[in-house]
Amino acid sequence: MNAVTRYFTNIRDAVATTLTGMKITLRYWVKEPAITVEYPDRLGAGKTADDIVSDRYRGFLKMEAGKCIGCMQCMRACPINCIRVTVEKAREARMLTRFGVNQAKCMHCGLCVEACPSEALVFTRRFEGASRDLRDLCFEHIAAPVPVARLRAGKGP
Amino acid sequence: MYSAANTVYGILHASLAAVGIPEAVITLVAYAIPCGVVIAIIGPIAGMLTYAERKISADIQNRVGPNRVGPFGLLQFPADGIKLLLKEDIIPDAADKKLFKLAPYLVFTSTVLASLVIPFGGSFIVADLNIGLIFIIVVSSLLVVGFLMSGWASNNKWALLGGIRSAAQIISYEIPTALSLLTVVLIAGTFSMQEIVMAQGPWPWQWFLFHNPFTFVAFFIFFVSSLAEMNRTPFDFPEAESELVSGYNVEYSGMRFALFFAAEFANIFITASLATAVFLGGGNIGMDPYASGLGYQLLMVLIFFTKAILLCLVTIWVRWTLPRLRIDQMLSLCWKYFIPIAFVCLVMTAVWMLAFGGNGFFWRMPTI
Repeated sequence: MNAVTRYFTNIRDAVATTLTGMKITLRYWVKEPAITVEYPDRLGAGKTADDIVSDRYRGFLKMEAGKCIGCMQCMRACPINCIRVTVEKAREARMLTRFGVNQAKCMHCGLCVEACPSEALVFTRRFEGASRDLRDLCFEHIAAPVPVARLRAGKGP
Repeated sequence: MYSAANTVYGILHASLAAVGIPEAVITLVAYAIPCGVVIAIIGPIAGMLTYAERKISADIQNRVGPNRVGPFGLLQFPADGIKLLLKEDIIPDAADKKLFKLAPYLVFTSTVLASLVIPFGGSFIVADLNIGLIFIIVVSSLLVVGFLMSGWASNNKWALLGGIRSAAQIISYEIPTALSLLTVVLIAGTFSMQEIVMAQGPWPWQWFLFHNPFTFVAFFIFFVSSLAEMNRTPFDFPEAESELVSGYNVEYSGMRFALFFAAEFANIFITASLATAVFLGGGNIGMDPYASGLGYQLLMVLIFFTKAILLCLVTIWVRWTLPRLRIDQMLSLCWKYFIPIAFVCLVMTAVWMLAFGGNGFFWRMPTI
């Protein structure tokens, strides 16, 4: 390519590439909606903060008392010992007397949820944990002792 | 030549001279009133442009943009202005204090001066100088002095580099800007802004943009090189955030910074109005701007502002499309492409005028 041809090719390329770019930005300007989530106060109608995170989000832990078999695998799996489970035997029935999670210490690694054989311990999507007192983040999931659930063979929880 | 100051002077003189107010005071007031009105118009427009810039950039980048202050965030720019007013005014110890303080006013002055000869449609023009176009070109060069001054006086290496860059850039790009405006002067045969507008017509094919192929090219050369003169992306070398932090205004804070900022955005509007008046027919609706009624004159203003604001939006659109060039590309674009092409346009327009007796591509020159 000699110099003169290059000169005019340069001009053509400059105009063409500019127009291509302008076309793309025009499309974004006119058509594409904003994807911003205006988090604290303008989430949209009927939406709460929990709805803006994905389904597999690792938020606060939740324990369903009716499903827990009291195996304490979660307690053993926890690397930072933020789960406390106590099971007591009263006559024939084993009773779950305490299931405490210190959510302030929890690092949301998910080892306890993986360890749970009955899917009693799951993550929720709640993530708003700001608090003035650390004790607000220590959750007791059981108010009164409950009998542990029994896993039946062949049936899922 | 029409001048708003003269009109105001006439009114004031008739009513106040009898009371015994000295002539000098009346003259000063007569000149101060139109200037104040122009600043009062340019200021809010510059403010709205900052809002438009943020909103459009947000739209282009799939964001929301300012939407908290007032409906749709429309009051964002007064809020920002008040915030800047309340900020501490910091002057660096090592700065040259006098120059440092003077520079923002110089920059703002050149912007306001340029707006004095813009025909806003109808008889709304502060002074219809017979050298209006040259006046604008000269006065907008004053900007460089302010930039260099602020860059030098800040005693900061980023600011100095920004000031020097802006000098190199603005002085280079003055030439294609002026040359491309001259193509229109060749056709219209006058430097007066109002007469240039009156030489065109209301319909697109009667604009100087479509007079002949060379004015068409000249318009785009003018537009792009005035982008460079306004320090807008893709030619924002003087402020290049990623290289120079913020360029010549890096040491400024508070209201002095706001003046730089306002001047920058006012310049967008001034340049867009210049392009509108010279190439896009201004506020011409095919009537005499001085003799027609007030309703028609306001219609002219409306048309003028529509065109000018649309051009402003294009300027913003370009900014959020193109990244910054390299500095050698910027200079070669000017010296190797724009200046030769602008010269070709100028000469070929002259040849066109000779060959076709002043008639355009679509329209015939009115026989004067």
